[in-house]
Amino acid sequence: MTIADVVKILDGKLMAGDGTSPRVVGAVVANDLMSDVLLTDADDVLLLTSLASDQAIRTAHIVGAVGVVIHNAKPLSETMINVANDLGIPLVSSPLSKYDACVKMHDAFMAEERG
Amino acid sequence: MSEYSPTILQGQQTNDDEILAKTPLDAKALGGDSSVVIMELLQRFKVRDVMKRQVIGIPRKATMREAQRILRENRISGLPVSEDGRLYGIISVNDIINGLDRGWMEDTVDMHMASNLVVLEAGMPISFALRYFNNYTYGRFPVLDSNRKLVGIISQRDVMRALLYELSVEIRKLERKTADKVSAPPPQSETRFFRREWAVVHNDLTGAGRAANEIKGILREKKVDRSIARRIAVAAYELEINICIHSHGGVLVLVISDNAVTITAKDRGPGIPDIEWACRDGTSTANDWIRSLGFGAGMGLSNSKRVSDFFEIESEVGKFTKVTCAFNLKKLEDPAAGGAK
Repeated sequence: MTIADVVKILDGKLMAGDGTSPRVVGAVVANDLMSDVLLTDADDVLLLTSLASDQAIRTAHIVGAVGVVIHNAKPLSETMINVANDLGIPLVSSPLSKYDACVKMHDAFMAEERG
Repeated sequence: MSEYSPTILQGQQTNDDEILAKTPLDAKALGGDSSVVIMELLQRFKVRDVMKRQVIGIPRKATMREAQRILRENRISGLPVSEDGRLYGIISVNDIINGLDRGWMEDTVDMHMASNLVVLEAGMPISFALRYFNNYTYGRFPVLDSNRKLVGIISQRDVMRALLYELSVEIRKLERKTADKVSAPPPQSETRFFRREWAVVHNDLTGAGRAANEIKGILREKKVDRSIARRIAVAAYELEINICIHSHGGVLVLVISDNAVTITAKDRGPGIPDIEWACRDGTSTANDWIRSLGFGAGMGLSNSKRVSDFFEIESEVGKFTKVTCAFNLKKLEDPAAGGAK
């Protein structure tokens, strides 16, 4: 599952970064507390958060995330989009709630596993 | 027509640092990629250090003609309308010109003053003043203390004069240091040595994390193992955020040598009274504003310690806190020698 797939699954819109990145999502971290996100050991994470700030992007960069999804179609500042472009982090805005986004991602992973 | 003497307000020294907690910094105003010396100067200097403390003011019921006289006699272009330290508005030369043109000169100043004011707070860093001068066309700003009392006025000239003086002092220091270094032997025997430092500004959550992001990029360039680089970046990020939200500002230093990488975070206070308590998961003095930005859960120090091979914290209340995190780049032959994790 690439960031392009994530955009489709979450009815999202790519706001910054490379939407054609071949990197594959290895795990989903849904969290608004950045110190928690920094604790994760998983590789190739997709960060799902309601924290629409530069810090979400900077944290994603530190943990080498595949991308960031901001749910509830929260408005994104220009600086956040600029930071995402500068750091090469795909940034997606989704109209779904965090719960619905998590459920959809789970379903998509299950479908992928079933082949 | 009654004659008014100008009101002279004597400014007061107040501690307004709490204002900063409500006002996020714009990193662009700090000069973005400016040198550490300049960044520190912009942060260290407060508006109260630079502003004029004697403010010529005029009461609300003075006439426009009185205002014109005071402006002319004092050769100033703006006059705060104030009573007992409370600021009500500003009368400028433009208002006087309009008054002359439209026959308002016997009206009271409160009828024509600008009352929707942009003001600075005495405890704000000079970087704020620069940003205000950049964003607005005004030549000067009234300065209020934390009780909203008028305590001074600041112009671009005041800022430039103070900065030029301090820069000349800093440059003299740097020149002396450079002269010393020329005669000293090279201190490093390591074949690989890299050092860089970043100034971290109090409450600048817009720019906080930039240093950690750059550190991660440097580690990638230096081909540091990916998993070690991630641990180093996590520590750098947590420590950078800590300086930003808990201290008066400081520096983050990266040192890469043959065998190890060290991240040092040193701030200028206020210091930690109980280090053991501060290092526990979930203990924090952060406020709600910081929490709303995704931090302040009290995991910064414990996260930094968790990812480090060596962790040390020193602090003196009222003076400084210094946190050192070190990471082994090569596997140690003797596992028992492996740090204090």
